[in-house]
Amino acid sequence: MGVTILLSYPVPENKTGPQTVDLLIKRIGALGAVQSGQFLVDCETFSSGPTMGGPPRTVHVLHNSEQPAAVFALLESPGPPPKTVPLVADGLFDLLMLKMSSIYASKKQTRMEARGTRFEIADFLVKIGTVTMSSNFKGVLVEVEYRPCFIAGNCWELMREFMQSFLGSVVQNTPPPYFQVHNRLNDVYQPLDTIQQYLDHFASYRKVAGL
Amino acid sequence: MSAYSVNISVEAPVENQIQEITYDGQEIYTPPLTMSEHLTKLAQKIDFAKCGPEELNKEITEIDKNEDEAEQSTAPPLWPWDSVRNKLRNALTEVSVLADVLSIAKDKHYMVLDPVPQEPPELKPMVQVYARKKALAGAASVLLSGADRLKNLQAEALRNRTTPDFHIELLRLRQNFRLKKVSNSIVGDLSYRTAGSKFAQNGTFEVTKAEEDGDSPLSPPCSPNASLSNKPTSALRVTVPSELQGVAFIKVFFQKDQDSLTAAQLNLPSSSTANAIPDMYWQPKLEAAQNVLFCKELFNQLAKDAVQLQSPIPHIVVGNQIIASVLPGIQLVIGLCHSGVSTDGKTAVVPPSSNGHDHVLEHSLHQLLRELHHKNTHHPFPHPSSGPIGPSKRRRLAGPCAADREELMQMTQSETMLEQVIKQAQHINLRDRTLFVLDRLAKDIKDPLITSHWNALNSPTQSCVKINIVAHMYDTICRTSLLIHVNETTLKCITRDGRVIHMSYESQELRDFIMCQVYLHQMTAVQNLAKCMGWQCLANSAQLGVGAVEPFGNASSCVLASPTGERLISVRCEPKSGVHVTIAQSPRKDFFPGQLVKERKWENLGGSFKEVRWDKMEGKNFLNKMELLMASLTSS
Amino acid sequence: MAMAQQTVNTAIDSLTAALKSNIIPNQEYFLQGSILDSSVEVLLHRLRGLCDNVDTNLETFHDHEMCFSIRGPNNTQPLQLRVRRSLDHNGMPMQLRYIGQPEIGDKSRPTVLRNSIDIGTSNTVVEFLTELGCRKDFEYSAKGYMFRKGRMKITVFKVFKIDETRKMMSSGGFDALSPLTHSYLVELSVLAPSGQDAIADDMRCFAEQLRPLVQLEKIDYKRLVHGP
Repeated sequence: MGVTILLSYPVPENKTGPQTVDLLIKRIGALGAVQSGQFLVDCETFSSGPTMGGPPRTVHVLHNSEQPAAVFALLESPGPPPKTVPLVADGLFDLLMLKMSSIYASKKQTRMEARGTRFEIADFLVKIGTVTMSSNFKGVLVEVEYRPCFIAGNCWELMREFMQSFLGSVVQNTPPPYFQVHNRLNDVYQPLDTIQQYLDHFASYRKVAGL
Repeated sequence: MSAYSVNISVEAPVENQIQEITYDGQEIYTPPLTMSEHLTKLAQKIDFAKCGPEELNKEITEIDKNEDEAEQSTAPPLWPWDSVRNKLRNALTEVSVLADVLSIAKDKHYMVLDPVPQEPPELKPMVQVYARKKALAGAASVLLSGADRLKNLQAEALRNRTTPDFHIELLRLRQNFRLKKVSNSIVGDLSYRTAGSKFAQNGTFEVTKAEEDGDSPLSPPCSPNASLSNKPTSALRVTVPSELQGVAFIKVFFQKDQDSLTAAQLNLPSSSTANAIPDMYWQPKLEAAQNVLFCKELFNQLAKDAVQLQSPIPHIVVGNQIIASVLPGIQLVIGLCHSGVSTDGKTAVVPPSSNGHDHVLEHSLHQLLRELHHKNTHHPFPHPSSGPIGPSKRRRLAGPCAADREELMQMTQSETMLEQVIKQAQHINLRDRTLFVLDRLAKDIKDPLITSHWNALNSPTQSCVKINIVAHMYDTICRTSLLIHVNETTLKCITRDGRVIHMSYESQELRDFIMCQVYLHQMTAVQNLAKCMGWQCLANSAQLGVGAVEPFGNASSCVLASPTGERLISVRCEPKSGVHVTIAQSPRKDFFPGQLVKERKWENLGGSFKEVRWDKMEGKNFLNKMELLMASLTSS
Repeated sequence: MAMAQQTVNTAIDSLTAALKSNIIPNQEYFLQGSILDSSVEVLLHRLRGLCDNVDTNLETFHDHEMCFSIRGPNNTQPLQLRVRRSLDHNGMPMQLRYIGQPEIGDKSRPTVLRNSIDIGTSNTVVEFLTELGCRKDFEYSAKGYMFRKGRMKITVFKVFKIDETRKMMSSGGFDALSPLTHSYLVELSVLAPSGQDAIADDMRCFAEQLRPLVQLEKIDYKRLVHGP
């Protein structure tokens, strides 16, 4: 998996979500992109019940259609110190979470998913997705992957130029906040990093009041 | 709430008994029993009298009756558990008494337990005697029948000392094949199912005892010392199913340019010998049957692949032949030859090119089927051991390592046997062509020597050859090396200077390329030689733009000057027409001052180039001639 | 393009579809027995003859298993989870295993049947379970041999105690293991989707062939725990 950068594209005032997505698709099509299927990233949250004692712990279970054989689980433990433990497992992990449903209950209302089309241009893979939370539209997420490189620091400039060409000034000149911590710019990029970026964006979307 | 909704109230039905209904309609319920009252009610239903022997029962019921009467007379009991307690107390008393009695009886001081003497049963001696006699007779009969059988076997063995024992033969057979006893007959399995084959055809054979035939052998003895039987007769006879009888093998050969779809039934030329040996020793017979089964499975698998594969020129499956196109104009024919099968009396129409059938490809086919069997059985074990058997190591890693869709797709793809065989056939073909071209070139071109060294270790789909171009006696001056990778349908050539050239299977391309390399070699060699001889290279060009256009490649040239600068040699190499050498001299010999050019000094400008008659030049090869030329020009 | 019309199913949807069509192997048929150290060689020899792939060498394994449990609400039975990793094959992922209550059944059922979910995970699983609220109950090391016959997996292994004091060393304490008993545990198991009870009969036939060396039978843990 190459370096992937996830951006939230703000929907302009006078347009709706689908219109923004169409606009982006037209722009990327003008660059010569070829449509190659659909993608889906979804996130389900489980929260520990009161019997656990202490502040509640949450488990986010995410699936990415790019890695169909894997299930990603991120456990946020509040205390102390607060940390997030990642886990990558086989597809049967969902069955286990079902078995633990008495201990960790799923909050069906906070189920989020990003769904859309994927486009291939030369070495890039662009995914333009609509984020919905239980059928309520939340925003537009654009995922850009540069397949040949897996160290973010080496290709940030190239990716920024490419993204600015069809996303405009939404793209900042500094790397996104996810890459600025923990020396992530010089680490080997893993599929788990993509999932964590999705989780961060989903969390920020949850905080925003429903549209 | 909408205006049309109706409020419905839901109540549980009334559980408690109504004690009283007052005059104003109010119902007074008996209060529900508390837990302890409820328990008491249930406990009172227990009748301790119902568990125990009859005598105890009677006593207890008597006691109970007295107690009940006594209780009932004193109105409802003060304490609900009273009756239960009394019953338990009585039981305790009884049990303590029993315990005391047992402990006293154990010591045997004051009390002893004595059995009550029983009446002995009536003895009937005659009945006993008869019963014993019958039992002994039964045992004797079993032993006698066993002894009889053994005696018979031993007598038989004594009579036929030449034929080996049936059981010893059976033991040897069992060491090689799986045998099972089914009702009265012995049945064996010669299929490859335990080795991983999934072929549906049955491979069972039957083992019987060979009949005692006193007839003379069927075929008259053909040699004088036929008193000793040539074929060892065996005590066993194996019956192989009819479709596996005879001998079979897979025949693979190449066929050129025949767009004929005539079905030629490939038959073994000698199909008569197989049926003439009825009592053949079982080992070769079973092995032949197993081979027939293997060949059938192989052909079946290949035919299935041929039908399912999509290729530009479709594969044809006709009768017992599969015709697949390897390269345009060349076809690979895979046939199953089975003798001993009753055909409709068709005589063999053997295609002309059947003499040179490709043993290597046949062996490859056998290996490929064995590989398929191996993959069916040898699944990797799970580590840690609690995992499921089945997924390969890559599949197990795919989950935790978050494998891509492409990686997962790659895991599921695999090449069919026919594809692999075709690839190997293509490679063999291309390798033969390349070999032919290189040998031809080496034979035709005598001047620089072309040597090719083929790698000893190859794969079935790739070989490498290293080509050296040197001039005889001048190998230290210049040597051009090339490496050619021969793949299935393409050639990749890597030159010393790092250029990579991809060529197709047309042999003309390779020939042209090597010719170009030869002439480039000559040019480089001349320049190196000049350095050795002290001559200076004034100019050289590897791809010359002047002169006639060459049909392939480009002309190359160089201009050399002698150490003193007086003589010039110009060499032009053309791949088509060869080498042209011209020399010039300065000062020019033919200078005559004319009207325009008056002074003598202009003779130093050098004369025109005159062509050397190269074929008349002395020297063994081009470089030798060049050396002699340079030597002669230097000295004169 | 036709691909544009394809919608991607969620992972949960495909999992439920797979569960409905009964292709996920989440049931384990199980038989256990034990054999003394002195007779293990004979058993291995017999298993080599009976099982598949006689031509390959004996497959050994050395695993480390940790058992975690997490308490449910209302003080119900705690959920047990096992994490198993291979000590001799370091590249293989760790296995997280949930084993349900074993169904002993009556005489008509030849084997124990229990729900079993095997999940391969990345190396962070122990930290994940600890933060989830699981407590480590016990751990042990298993070293032995593995055999295969068709779909059946036969393991013959010895259980070792892990020395806590040597855990801080680089070898993790796995070089000096002390065995728990003087015997080997023999297990015969098949992982299959639910409803394939015919395999239990095959297992019983195979178990018959190993008598009297080792008696593979259904073992009721509850009776062992609450026994006299």
